[in-house]
Amino acid sequence: MNCVELRQSLAEVEDGGSAQQRAHLRACPACSALVRDLNLIVTTAGQLRAADDPSPRVWNSIEIALRQEGLIRPLLAARPPVPSFAERWGAARWLVPAAAMLLLALGIYVRREAPPNQLVRQASVATPAANPSDLNDDDLMQEVADNAPEMKTQYAENLRQVNESIRDAQGLVDEAPNDEDARRSLMDAYQQKSMLFEMAMDRSLQ
Amino acid sequence: MVSKRAAKLVAIGVIVAGTLVAESKREYHFSVGPRAGVSVMNPYGSISVKPSLNNTVVVNAFLHSDRVEVDNNQNGNRVDIQSHLLAGADADSGRVDYEVLVPADASITLHSSTGSLRAEKLHGDVNLEGAGAAVDVRDISDAHVHVKTMNGSVNLDNIQNGHVEVDSLSGDVTMRSVTGPLVQVVSTSGRINYFGDFGNSGEYRLTSHSGDIEATIPDWTSADVSARSVRGEVHDDIPLQPKNHTWFAIDKGRAFAGTMGRVAVSSTVVLRTFSGKIHLRKRSEKQ
Repeated sequence: MNCVELRQSLAEVEDGGSAQQRAHLRACPACSALVRDLNLIVTTAGQLRAADDPSPRVWNSIEIALRQEGLIRPLLAARPPVPSFAERWGAARWLVPAAAMLLLALGIYVRREAPPNQLVRQASVATPAANPSDLNDDDLMQEVADNAPEMKTQYAENLRQVNESIRDAQGLVDEAPNDEDARRSLMDAYQQKSMLFEMAMDRSLQ
Repeated sequence: MVSKRAAKLVAIGVIVAGTLVAESKREYHFSVGPRAGVSVMNPYGSISVKPSLNNTVVVNAFLHSDRVEVDNNQNGNRVDIQSHLLAGADADSGRVDYEVLVPADASITLHSSTGSLRAEKLHGDVNLEGAGAAVDVRDISDAHVHVKTMNGSVNLDNIQNGHVEVDSLSGDVTMRSVTGPLVQVVSTSGRINYFGDFGNSGEYRLTSHSGDIEATIPDWTSADVSARSVRGEVHDDIPLQPKNHTWFAIDKGRAFAGTMGRVAVSSTVVLRTFSGKIHLRKRSEKQ
């Protein structure tokens, strides 16, 4: 089994996988790291509290995606169950949703759980824990330099601005932990940064 | 002297002819059913989508060189178009400009890094994304309109009964006659302009971290408005009925909240910025 075959059969790995899969994972550091990341996402998602409803915006985005993929329309038979997204992104397709999911989880946690004196440490832009896929600003700029060098300056400036907005929003949350606007601003700022990563890593445009 | 001029003209002619040869047009036709899905992924170049007269998707692709080709695929009721960059392609040689006709009820997804994105006269969902792409969406009804840009400007005109979501880091966002149950703009530093009456019973949320927000509304608007700038200023040209209770402090010059028009049909309007200015203006007759 090679790396491509392993990644195509990733859904079966969580149960221990076949002997072939286990053999490949033992021999291939890249695939085993990928599986570890996926397991981390699954574990973290399980820790989300049922009472923490996402905002209407999240549901709206999901509905858009479902409608675009035809999954909530009557013409299901004519639509492929798996869109071309997976082919386009390959294994890297996990990175952006992973980052977005953990940012969301982080935001919910900050909003609902953390006492004020812990907010800085847990939601700080500089904290690597905010990005379990090990994506940081340097990775973003390297990705842009490799794939869209003509846009490097624009990405750098927008990254600077969004980091600044996170710092400002974080400051507001620190000053007034019960301020709904401040918390929402922090979430928006993180979502904007997540979007910047998403754009930089859009394999479909490279 | 004459021979030198002739040589120059010949050289120019050769260059022009070479350019014309390098650019080429491809045309694709697909028959689809109701509510089809059409996606176009284009790293460099513009995409324009208009309604077709029947159940056909027509794709006209203008390729700027032979270093890019167009991959097309129809899978049931879904059509996928992708510009495929070949070795050595860059922003110029990899450019493809698309003119696409789709049934008016089709849902479209357009991606481009640098070219403009335009969609008009549709009532299927519209999903546009581009880092530096300027986005123009007009005459859309009963649909989701979702736009993501980094620094491209966004212009929305005559969107009726839409679920509208715009995320832009630094591009300016301008909306004219945009109404629906949900109209939401989130920006980091872009300016947000809204011209319209905020519809009936919708939720309008315009947020920019450091960009200014300006809403220009007519007399008959019915809305429950709250505006707040943490470090900037707010201005209100329209008398509002003050609210008895707000959950944030109304610092004069930094925030206001109140209602106008008929409460029964009023929309909720939230304007928020950290360091930008907010201005609620009354629309003049000329506007």
